[in-house]
Amino acid sequence: MSARILIVEDEALVALELRFQLEGMGYGVAGVAADAATARSLAAQEVVDLALVDLNLADGPTGMSLGRELAGQHDVAVVYLTGNPDLLRDEVAGAIGVLCKPADEAVVEAAVDFALRRRRGDRSIPAPPAMRLFG
Amino acid sequence: MGIGLSASADNSAGENGDEADRLAALEAYGILETSEERAFDDIVALIARICDTPMALVALIDRDRQWFKARYGLEMRETPRPVSFCEQGLDEDGLFVVSDAAADPRFADNPLVVGPPHVRFYAGMPLVTDDGRRLGTLCALDTAARPQGLDSRQALAMEALAGQVMAQLELRKALRERSRTEERLRLALITSENVAAWDWDLVADRLVADARFAEFYGVDPAVAAAGAPLETYLHRIHPEDLDGLRAAVRAAVEGGGRFEHEYRLLGPAGEIRWVQARGACLSDGEGRPTRFPGAVVDITDRKLAEEERSQIARAQRLLSQELSHRIKNIFAVVSALVSLSARQFPESRPFAENLRTRLAALARAHEFVSPSPIGERSAGASLHAFLADLFSPYAGPDGRSRVLIEGDDATFDDQAATPVALLFHELATNAAKYGALSRDEGRVRLTAERRCDRYVLEWVETGGPPLNGDPMRQGFGSGLATLSVEGQLAGRLERVWAPEGLRCTIDLPARALSRRPDATFRAETSPESVR
Repeated sequence: MSARILIVEDEALVALELRFQLEGMGYGVAGVAADAATARSLAAQEVVDLALVDLNLADGPTGMSLGRELAGQHDVAVVYLTGNPDLLRDEVAGAIGVLCKPADEAVVEAAVDFALRRRRGDRSIPAPPAMRLFG
Repeated sequence: MGIGLSASADNSAGENGDEADRLAALEAYGILETSEERAFDDIVALIARICDTPMALVALIDRDRQWFKARYGLEMRETPRPVSFCEQGLDEDGLFVVSDAAADPRFADNPLVVGPPHVRFYAGMPLVTDDGRRLGTLCALDTAARPQGLDSRQALAMEALAGQVMAQLELRKALRERSRTEERLRLALITSENVAAWDWDLVADRLVADARFAEFYGVDPAVAAAGAPLETYLHRIHPEDLDGLRAAVRAAVEGGGRFEHEYRLLGPAGEIRWVQARGACLSDGEGRPTRFPGAVVDITDRKLAEEERSQIARAQRLLSQELSHRIKNIFAVVSALVSLSARQFPESRPFAENLRTRLAALARAHEFVSPSPIGERSAGASLHAFLADLFSPYAGPDGRSRVLIEGDDATFDDQAATPVALLFHELATNAAKYGALSRDEGRVRLTAERRCDRYVLEWVETGGPPLNGDPMRQGFGSGLATLSVEGQLAGRLERVWAPEGLRCTIDLPARALSRRPDATFRAETSPESVR
């Protein structure tokens, strides 16, 4: 059973391309949410192993706290995706790390793989260089 | 030398410089040519009585005459200086007595002795200022000789009353100065629309102020004109500014110095008026604070302008952050579009991939040069830092970078971001496809050097597949690099296909990367290594 990934991103085109990439890698996409509320309800209804969360969503800069919530309350591995890495100066408890947008497919693949392993407690492979790790 | 005749040139008051100072001091009292005053008249009447003489004078020695401020028993108001008895007294340290002028060689021929008023006896006490200048004398004169001179009681009275004359002169001087100051203030008020003046008597805690001041501070103008304690004037001060103002006033009073403070006054309807108050705390001779005058100017317009300016600056910063976010977002959307479009046309995937990586390099470069969200103008991005980031996908299996960056770093700005991104993206991509980076053991050494007004980079590939002269494929990629360097950056790009690998030299004008005059070129102490 392949991992289920939640995409939280308000740019529809970016979200769509991400979906294709992830499905091409063999993962399942649990859903696409453009704002924090939709993301929360999806996480409650669906099985979600990992969430790719943009910092700026349709309802404002709500990504950071949403990620914290998903990691803390729903046991989701959270990787932030953002065009503004400076917005995320401090580490967020529970989240795994940050990727910069636009990230190419290889980077996304490596990051997703690493994050899922981490969630399982598997620390055998190093983090991809393009990813800024928390903790 | 004529008896009793002393020419001004040979004056007994000393050098010409001293005489000029003495005259200036006399002038400062503004006493010459003034009318009779009770205070001085009483003194001469008293000294005449005590010394039992028919005549007494307060005499002041002017440039060419002696002039009498007060006279008792004498009609004349002045005499020429040369015939003055008092002139002689200017040299004396204390009481100067002439027992019998007719028998004194100095005065026997003096017209005042020979003719009216027929002076025979003279006793004079010099009038001396605090800094030792002799202005004239208090004197008593008789028509009869007096061999015994003055007795001790009379001498004491002379000394005391001469002191009193000086005290009166000082008082007049102080009052005169004060009314001159008031006159100046009045003039200042008349000429200026927005000045409100005050004068605070610290000893009595009585602050007198003009009508405009009264208006600003919400005090009845009649109360202000008459004077009232400081507290009376404070009820309109903005509550947030009150403590600061009190502290500033205290500092000026205790430090005895200048006072300058800006604060807000509230109008009757709560409207705010910004004022700047300036004054000085004056002390008496013993250093005790006595007076604190000053003026207040309405600076509301200036404050509003400042506030507006800083609001505009804030808005500009926000706008610039907005813009920066949008640019980054657009790159992400374009990149996604390219990939999505390629999915529709599978045969275009290699093209799309190529395009996507170029866009990613562009996005990254622009991200490096954009202002930080904190709102400060960035000084420009570090070229080495950007390049390290750009080459990070080409790291070896051990995670270490395969592009070694050494030498002088440079800052590059938004104008240089595009050509910088495309140039190095091409070099790296080509190296990855055909050159050093296509082999695990291949390496690139990138050395940067600032030479005078040029900035020169050398890209040297080693460990790649051996080359036989120019490779077949020139293509758009190399063209893009050349275009970036020679077109946009106005530099020179040279390629040498050495057998061990490509050597590429990029020679740029130093100003090509950053328009800022203070753009830095720092030497690095150790080569770049990637995380």
